[in-house]
Amino acid sequence: MKIEISDLHFTYPTGVQALRGISLTIESGEQVAIVGQNGSGKTTLVKHLNGLLRPTSGIVRIGGWDTKDHSVAKLARRVGYVFQNPDEQLFSKNVGTEVAFGPRNMGLDGDQVQSLVQDALVMTELSDKTETNPYDLSATWRKMVALASVISMDTDIVIFDEPTTGQDAMNIERIANVIKALRSRGKTVLTITHDIDFCAENFTRVIALSQGKILLDGNANDVLGQEEVLAVTYVEPPQLTRLGKRLGFRNTVRTQDEFLTELERYS
Amino acid sequence: MAIVNLQNVTYQYPLTSSPALRDVSLQINEGEFVAVVGPNGAGKSTLCYTLAGFVPHFFKGELTGTVEVAGSETHSSTLNEWVMNVGLAFQNPFNQISGAKYTVFEEIAFGLENIGVPRDEMISRVEDAMKLTDISDLADRSPYSLSGGQQQRVALTSILVMQPKVLVLDEPTSQMDPIGTREVFGVIRKMAEQGMTVILVEHKVEWIAQFADRVIALKDGEVLLEGTPGEVLTSPLVEESGFGISRYTSVARKAQKLALWKKHKLPVTLDEATEGFAHPLTPNPSPERRGEQ
Amino acid sequence: MHERLSFYAKRDSLLHRLNPLTKLTLVFGFVLISFLTPFYWTPHLLILFGVIPLSFLGKVAREYFNTSLRLILPAAGFLFIMQALFQPLEGRELFRIWFLHPTEESVMYAFGNAMRIFVMVSSFTLFLLTTHPSELMSDLSRRGLPGQFAYVVISTLQILPQMQAKAQTIIAAQRSRGLDTESSFLRRASSLIPLVGPLVFGSLVEVEERAIAIEARGFTSTRVKTSLHAIPDTNSDRLIRWALILLILISLAVRLWLS
Repeated sequence: MKIEISDLHFTYPTGVQALRGISLTIESGEQVAIVGQNGSGKTTLVKHLNGLLRPTSGIVRIGGWDTKDHSVAKLARRVGYVFQNPDEQLFSKNVGTEVAFGPRNMGLDGDQVQSLVQDALVMTELSDKTETNPYDLSATWRKMVALASVISMDTDIVIFDEPTTGQDAMNIERIANVIKALRSRGKTVLTITHDIDFCAENFTRVIALSQGKILLDGNANDVLGQEEVLAVTYVEPPQLTRLGKRLGFRNTVRTQDEFLTELERYS
Repeated sequence: MAIVNLQNVTYQYPLTSSPALRDVSLQINEGEFVAVVGPNGAGKSTLCYTLAGFVPHFFKGELTGTVEVAGSETHSSTLNEWVMNVGLAFQNPFNQISGAKYTVFEEIAFGLENIGVPRDEMISRVEDAMKLTDISDLADRSPYSLSGGQQQRVALTSILVMQPKVLVLDEPTSQMDPIGTREVFGVIRKMAEQGMTVILVEHKVEWIAQFADRVIALKDGEVLLEGTPGEVLTSPLVEESGFGISRYTSVARKAQKLALWKKHKLPVTLDEATEGFAHPLTPNPSPERRGEQ
Repeated sequence: MHERLSFYAKRDSLLHRLNPLTKLTLVFGFVLISFLTPFYWTPHLLILFGVIPLSFLGKVAREYFNTSLRLILPAAGFLFIMQALFQPLEGRELFRIWFLHPTEESVMYAFGNAMRIFVMVSSFTLFLLTTHPSELMSDLSRRGLPGQFAYVVISTLQILPQMQAKAQTIIAAQRSRGLDTESSFLRRASSLIPLVGPLVFGSLVEVEERAIAIEARGFTSTRVKTSLHAIPDTNSDRLIRWALILLILISLAVRLWLS
């Protein structure tokens, strides 16, 4: 399911011009990270994808649907959005019911809902917690419940808003595994993130925003290697990229495997 | 002279099935900068609350063992006495703003009003504290109009103005963006350099490695390992236990197996990694590296 | 950012400089006098020679007139019409349309009542325009109001608008899960729990953290509290308060004597 954004401008009612002419296309199955300083327009951009915001001018198309013509509830069948704070969406008496909320809203029958719920619980390692009240779980597992609640909607596009904030290494790995699983199913995954190392290890395309415009958009290695340009929007390159540069690597590296491969070439 | 002394501390929150801290013992000397690392659920926050007296005085529950921090002791000191000696700040800056004050200056003065500091002294203490944390220009702003990093600095200032002897910080940068993180770490580093005893719970190990004197690794309520940042953060035990370690460390460990990392000690910071990998390399730094992709 | 729940207009005026308790006494004075005094035209006079001049004295005339036109006048006007038309008192009928037959007496009565309401709301408005809520609470705390009570009032004023922002995010999150907020009313009514639930549970966590944060800053300290800002209470203030109390008592006395 293609995402097409054409000359998108958006101004908030307060007068703030958050997006000033964004154009981009994301093909089905791409794994894209959106980076940039606070205020550069990341969240504003992403909220246009499921209709929470509608363009002041320009067009946003999701799988051919113009977002202006469809309600958020309808667009939710194509675009899943995982918000940053799980406590701002959890309300059910147990995890199972919570995860079923999304698919139920889409009007699916009981069996379909159950199979989607089971699937999502397995992916997020929550199968043994189906009967638990979400608020009895630790913050770590509440995050996974929030993820499961959106995955169960089985949308073609999934958006993560700052998924790693406040998470420990083990949970970041779980989240990375969820993203891998989604990728293997051909889903389009978008994320907004400050964690540039997480971005480097899990996404193949990086879009850097600055002041409502696209600063850089391309292959992850290309973008993450452009230290000076990224600095404009207060983004530092990933740890291994920086190390590679310091050591004089010719190619930009972003994962441990790439680093070791490059290292071997020099030894 | 130990300003923090915990001996065999075991603590369980009310209505829970297992202790959050098990037989924890640690000593911290005045002026030390100690970092605490561990997975979520390891007991790091509980440790912070214990050091600040909130466990057990605020949370109730069973605490056994000795807790002595900056002159306060669990059984003989009240929470009111404790907060005069130990400052506590945590993750979410929004929840640390009292809501009772309309300007940053007043917000910082709030604590001093509560403990009855005379007006003139109050004003000069607030001004000094704001200079220290570099937020003097925010004095007349509403605390709710600030960025996350600014709010967190206001929260820190509000605690520092109480002149605590020990500063306990529970993941103060977890919710910050890179700019906010830098601002907050800047303040913490300054406090540490000025001789404040600092206990910092953090995930960002690279920074800890550069500035902490000691690191304590906590897991399942117990102290797993204790030592210098280099020792703890590169320990295989820590990596196996699921702690977040720096990519430099884990890539160097892998490189070590391929005989590409020749040093005995693994790196934690960028500088250590650069130094360790650079030497055995044949000079091959390409000046046009940026253009070559 | 979000509007604070407060009418306060920051100026330097005679009214602003008065002690908050004095202004509060003024409000109660106006209200009690207009309700107690048997003289019919008291409320009208209080408006003309009390409220309006005070609004100029407090340099908040523009805000006051704005609020009057948009809020107070329509409310008092509505009350007047309802009472005049639907609660006819015995007397000379003014006209008769359908089932409406207002009398001269009911019109006069309704007018008097509406004016009393007008005085009441106007005085509170003037008070809110010229008194900062934290100033009021500070002064009352100094005079013995429990600190916890003052804190709850003030923090609610600031935090409620913040909670509005949180509520917006919750709505957005649930809509993104397919919650229908754009269709029939019945459907929307059933979607309350997914919206209110997170707001309540999330707030509980926040409240605990905030309690710890203010505790860490000595909130429950038993020492005598001091205050950053000195709120003056001058002799003129005391004079005005006593004068008002006297006037209230006189009104009461006159009413009792005449009845």
